[in-house]
Amino acid sequence: MADPIVRRVLGRPLVVAAVGFLLIMVLGAVFAPLVAPQDPYRLMSLSLGDSLLPPVWMEGGKTPFLLGTDVQGRDILSTILYGSRVSFLVGTSVVLIAGVVGGAVGLLAGFYGGWLDSVTMRLADSLLSFSTTLIAMLLLGIFRYNSLLLVILAIVVAGWVQYARTMRGRVLAVKEEDYVTAARAAGSGAPRLILRHILPNAVAPLLVIAAVDFGVAVTLEATLSFLGVGVPITQPSLGMMIAQGKDFVYAGMWWLIVFPAGVLMGIVFSLNVIADWLRDELDPRLKAR
Amino acid sequence: MTQIPNVAIGLLSALALAGSLVAAPRAHAQGASRLAVGVAAAPHTMDPQAADVDSNMSAMTNIFDGLVQRDTAGELQPGLATAWKRIDEETWRFELRKGVKFHNGNDFTWEDVQFTMERLKSPHSEFRNFGALVASVTPVGNDPWVVDMKTRGSVPFFVQTLHMIFIMDKESTASRSEGEVAQTPIGTGPYRFVEWVKGSHLRLAANEQYWGGAPAIKQAEFRAVAEPSTRLAAITSGAVDILQDVPVALGSALAKHPQVELVSRPARRAIFLGLGNKPGTPTADLRVRKAMYMAINEQEIIEKVMFGRATPAAQIPDPPTVGYSKAITRLPYDPDEAKRLLAEAGYPNGFEITLTGPNDRYVQDAQIQATVAAQLARVGIKVKVDSKPKSVFFPQVSRHELDFFLIGWFDGSYDFGRSFRQLLHTVDEKAGYGATNGAGYGNPGLDELFAAAEKTIDPEKRAEALRRLNEATMEQVAVIPLHYQSDDYAIRKDRGIRFTPRSDTWIVFKDIARSGS
Amino acid sequence: MSGYVTKRLLQGLVVLGIVSFISFAIFQYLGDPVATMAGQYATQAEREELRRVLGLDRPFYVQYARFIGNALRGNLGLSYVARVPVLGLILERLPASIELAFAAELIAVAFGVVLGALSAAYPRSWFSRITQTGSLVGISLPTFIVGIGLILVFVVWLGWLPPFGRGETVPILGGAWRTGLLTASGLSHLVLPAFTLGMFQLAVLFRLTRGGVIEALQADYVRTARAKGVKPPVVLFRHVLRNVFIPVVTIIGLQLGQLIGFSIVTESIFQWPGAGSLLLASIFESDFPVVAAYIMTVALIIVGLNLLVDVAYALLDPRIRYG
Repeated sequence: MADPIVRRVLGRPLVVAAVGFLLIMVLGAVFAPLVAPQDPYRLMSLSLGDSLLPPVWMEGGKTPFLLGTDVQGRDILSTILYGSRVSFLVGTSVVLIAGVVGGAVGLLAGFYGGWLDSVTMRLADSLLSFSTTLIAMLLLGIFRYNSLLLVILAIVVAGWVQYARTMRGRVLAVKEEDYVTAARAAGSGAPRLILRHILPNAVAPLLVIAAVDFGVAVTLEATLSFLGVGVPITQPSLGMMIAQGKDFVYAGMWWLIVFPAGVLMGIVFSLNVIADWLRDELDPRLKAR
Repeated sequence: MTQIPNVAIGLLSALALAGSLVAAPRAHAQGASRLAVGVAAAPHTMDPQAADVDSNMSAMTNIFDGLVQRDTAGELQPGLATAWKRIDEETWRFELRKGVKFHNGNDFTWEDVQFTMERLKSPHSEFRNFGALVASVTPVGNDPWVVDMKTRGSVPFFVQTLHMIFIMDKESTASRSEGEVAQTPIGTGPYRFVEWVKGSHLRLAANEQYWGGAPAIKQAEFRAVAEPSTRLAAITSGAVDILQDVPVALGSALAKHPQVELVSRPARRAIFLGLGNKPGTPTADLRVRKAMYMAINEQEIIEKVMFGRATPAAQIPDPPTVGYSKAITRLPYDPDEAKRLLAEAGYPNGFEITLTGPNDRYVQDAQIQATVAAQLARVGIKVKVDSKPKSVFFPQVSRHELDFFLIGWFDGSYDFGRSFRQLLHTVDEKAGYGATNGAGYGNPGLDELFAAAEKTIDPEKRAEALRRLNEATMEQVAVIPLHYQSDDYAIRKDRGIRFTPRSDTWIVFKDIARSGS
Repeated sequence: MSGYVTKRLLQGLVVLGIVSFISFAIFQYLGDPVATMAGQYATQAEREELRRVLGLDRPFYVQYARFIGNALRGNLGLSYVARVPVLGLILERLPASIELAFAAELIAVAFGVVLGALSAAYPRSWFSRITQTGSLVGISLPTFIVGIGLILVFVVWLGWLPPFGRGETVPILGGAWRTGLLTASGLSHLVLPAFTLGMFQLAVLFRLTRGGVIEALQADYVRTARAKGVKPPVVLFRHVLRNVFIPVVTIIGLQLGQLIGFSIVTESIFQWPGAGSLLLASIFESDFPVVAAYIMTVALIIVGLNLLVDVAYALLDPRIRYG
């Protein structure tokens, strides 16, 4: 059963590479406390004496710091591992929360229509006029404390809209299908109709959106941290590493930005490759290539 | 199939061609009498009373004059007043400069002075606090060129502050809407206003009729470049002639650039950590405050975080400020002694505290907070760092709701009494004490010393009283001082610029000279 | 049709209403403008007095009603920071953002559609593989990395292009609009920010076009045309591209509003004096009147563009139900 899928994946080296890279990064992130040479979030373990060291193969590099260190003396490799935890956490939470909330809203709006539909869709339209940065600033103003939770919340507030829209569109289409009409005629209640007949047939496009959105969320977290409204400075994410490192590039310290930027791009790129593949798998019309 | 790549190459080369056709970026700033300065913070407004930050006053001082002005060294010099003296505790007498004209042709008179002082109290003014101190402005006898200003109570720093109060034209200011006043400034200063695009640039042209003589630079421009990396590009590409606030991390890279010269001077602003002393909190114990002080390795912060672009501070005021004391020295960096003090105070395993601070205000502000947290961690104090944009941070300071915070300060009036009243006096909303006392620190002993100093009129004795206050403040470790930032400028070598950085960081174009082309 | 347009117009108005209400309800949390407006030496009493003078001590719905009342009379108030009329401030900045957004969109359309079509026409060529992978890279690159990278290469290393700002601008339309499109300096300043902003969009349009073209190439009428011996370029441009026109226009319409209004990162990296950097600065300065008016302006642009797209859509494709 799984065999043809495996074969189809293996037939596309880019997808294999993407899955492989993500797997390594996820494992690295999950087991960071075990594999990372240093815990960069543990302030005790940092020493300014080791700040801004180049990678180990360059002149001045030091052994435990394979990819060099940043201005606070954090090991770049360890910080990347811990920082990608933040990325994966943000991506997963945003996709789950926005997907579930947006999906549910879209499902109900599409199924029931009427004022529920009008209200939620107009609200969705309205949120397009707020940038994520603005929402993040507002949340920061309300809670007065930089934290990962705020970042996730800010991205979710703007992010649920497209799930809701897509779900609603699918529900509207599925609702008219014969089997739904038949089930309705047979006396199925609304909950049963939604859960048994509509949801399973409408959920597929959401998976593709989720894969793309995961990458978008990771990028947004990086951007917010870049703008100074993201994660706390003592727990740098990949985005904050890039923001902190960017000035040093001109002073020749390229390792501060090249490694985290490379990993960030690698993660988002891999996710997009997988999303692409997923789309092809789910949309048979495009497969003939 | 082969023609496709050709199309792509064609597109790319067309683009490259378009690029080369339009590539004429070597900026406009090359004529001998033009000068562009890149600044980190653009002027906010063209209303000289609507912003009390240096980035704004730096622009305004070119268009307007105060009754007095400060020279490059920070000494008071005559401006629109040729002489002044303190008649009694509440009265200051000024002789006004004759024959000065505003840019619109109006004559400068005592009524403009009166109008300006009155306007300080309007909702559009950020000098309302100072305006409230002015009781009246009246000519003396029949001579309209001599005016007396009366203050409410004794204001020792009155004339020391007047270089920031720019005289506005009564007629054109009163007759125009606030929006127009804040868009098109009319002053008596060495430069006329040409164009302002908010957040982008401010263009000025020399006032050939300036009472102090026509300035040498004929066309002057402030260009805002906030992004550090873009700032570096601005000076290396020659788009600006002088760059203010060289990003510290890039100082060494810029110093190697063949066409750029770095000029530094110790800045007036001290960066320090404020601490609360509410009863029951660990930081109420002097031993804990000392321990925190001694756990901080300032030398390391300067070397590694500030890239050497700072000098250690042992107190809040800088040397030219009244109240500065040479006798104060930093407590030594001694983590072992710090641990011992903590244990003695009953915190052998440290405690938890949150360090709050801005991340878009001072040089390396957030990085310093992270480093302080790491250094305190080594003596067992667990610091949670909460750095945030200044628009969220400063309102928290005003509400005195913080425990431990990073802030910077320098007093525009060069008066430690004013700093103390603002930063460390026990909070008293009614009297206006402790408005910037972010952690609600209070020490009645220090407050008494302050009150005694405020009552002293004789400048020498007052300076002595303020020195004692300052020394007592540091004995009590009311704050943990870190360093004075350094003001760094990058200057194009190839343009014959003679520029001396000012202590107040203002860019005064009339004092900048250029030789040849 | 007119009923449909009326309905969409009404929906647009509702959206504007919701946007203004949400922004006002939450603004009180966007920092405290009085903290800076009263001056750094102000006492608490002076702050409270200023708050009263500005009416900021009133409940938000009172402030909201006053704002809407004034806005309907064309008065959006004065900026708390610049103290100049908000409307002028925004109108002064919008041309820069609109020019940047259109330049970015132009680059995206020119490269995205052409490369996408070519890539689809020859799906097995190395060119197709490279561009397809490239498009994935394009949508994976955070804007700030693109911007920093472009500055590093083209400004710092090569010295070909200017680093920041908009260059020389000249007034047109009687001075209401300052354009950078008519001077060499203005155009050279536009290149890097436009590419930075257009990169993501380019990749999206590339993928959209490629998908649409591949689909169309398998359609019967295209097969027929090919079988009849019509030359491939003619097939491509006459028969196939028409098929991808609608989704491409839709995406452009939907994205253009966002590009005009929220090119915050690009504008701040390149110090582009546009509306996005004004918004960012105003957010960080707690300048409510500017932020409120700005959000309303962007909402207006987005709602207007969406309406145009919907109408164009309905006109182009009669199968769309007006609903």
